[in-house]
Amino acid sequence: MRYTEFTPYDIVLLAQGLGVSLALFLATSAIGLVLGTLWAVTRFYRVPVLSQALAFLAELLKNSPVLVQLFLVFFGFPAFFRVNVTPVEAALITLSANTAAFVYVIAVSGIESVGRDQIEAARVFGLTRWQVLRRVIAPQAAAFATGPLVALLVNQLQVTSLISVIGVADLTKIGNILNLRTLKPFVVWTVVGLLYYLAAKLVALIGARIETRLRAHSAWRGL
Amino acid sequence: MLAIEKVRKVFGATTVLDGVELVVEPGEVVSILGSSGSGKSTLIRCINGLERLDGGRITVDGFNVSKPRELAEARKRSGTVFQLFNLYPHMTAVGNVMLAPVEVLKLPKKEAEARARRILDSVGLGPRADAYPAQLSGGQRQRVGLARALAMEPRYLLLDEVTSALDPEMTAEVLGILAELARSGTTMLFVTHEIEFARRISNRIVFLDGGRLVVDLPTAAFFSAAGGMAHPRIAQFLSKMQKD
Repeated sequence: MRYTEFTPYDIVLLAQGLGVSLALFLATSAIGLVLGTLWAVTRFYRVPVLSQALAFLAELLKNSPVLVQLFLVFFGFPAFFRVNVTPVEAALITLSANTAAFVYVIAVSGIESVGRDQIEAARVFGLTRWQVLRRVIAPQAAAFATGPLVALLVNQLQVTSLISVIGVADLTKIGNILNLRTLKPFVVWTVVGLLYYLAAKLVALIGARIETRLRAHSAWRGL
Repeated sequence: MLAIEKVRKVFGATTVLDGVELVVEPGEVVSILGSSGSGKSTLIRCINGLERLDGGRITVDGFNVSKPRELAEARKRSGTVFQLFNLYPHMTAVGNVMLAPVEVLKLPKKEAEARARRILDSVGLGPRADAYPAQLSGGQRQRVGLARALAMEPRYLLLDEVTSALDPEMTAEVLGILAELARSGTTMLFVTHEIEFARRISNRIVFLDGGRLVVDLPTAAFFSAAGGMAHPRIAQFLSKMQKD
């Protein structure tokens, strides 16, 4: 048997790699969405010190390469804090924090896109700040932010490929292994690229559905 | 009783309200006239706590709007209708009207919705209750704005140039409802440029000029030669408004 041939088992390997990529993507997106939104809420309430600290942290995360952040967590944390960080843990921490930083920026602009008149209309009827945030600002900010958020998530899905560098067996890592064995880079990377493409399309499609629903109220605008 | 005592409001170097005194008793309809920039809208925004006072005191049934703890009670007693409607675009007409009753008065959802539909019906919007603001005409939107304020069963209705953004036909829709409310004894503080209408429904008319309250007279006296018309500023304002 020649090892340069493709075998049916390679499909299973690729599917496993895709599974790892998607699982990490979903987990880090969920954590990032929750964290980033919470950061934006601390800013809405103008929590002293905390909101400034989080804004600074988001700046650092947004403006440095994800790969550098990944190396810092994977190699830097064990050296500095004397803790063991597995590749998957490093990937989870880095990607979640990075997603959170961008979600924070989008959520803040979403909140700021809601007019003062909306807040005043709710306040004069006696709604508390929290009620205004939950019932008046959040739904409108969500409709505003869905487009940018979906674009962000599609990008973060591609960014997960970086974690192959520290040894997580994601789709790119599997592609790398198959490539070294079969020596057919054009076939391997085309298939891997196509799988990322399909996954990204799926994310965009779901996002578009959600956006349509959130914007139902303005469907008549522009007629 | 809605009591405004020596109220002062300053924006930077401009004094917008300068020692305004006004009392509105339950059941009264008081119209506030004055040219643009005379401080009418600012006065309304001071009463509902959207602006902080720089002097004086405003109490709604004894609750001081400048004290955070009492402001919530004061706000429960007054309902504001805005010039530009300020409806929540992501909620239907019913959603707009029932939000505050559910969140603030803690009414059960079903009850709040029934109340909202009843009030929308009374302003002629029963069939449009499930439409979003973007699907409604300007006059219909302002009637939702009115229904939203009425749903809180306010003791005092604060109307801030509620027809200024509407064409004459839509203005008539909204004024018809206000006339109905006035007849049924709803207390109103009515900032407006609709002088003829103010004359018809008001018990008293107040004239503001440059942040000062010039006169506070019963309606008939305000329009008489010896009363309001004796003030050159008011005579000038009325003659200009009636020419248009």
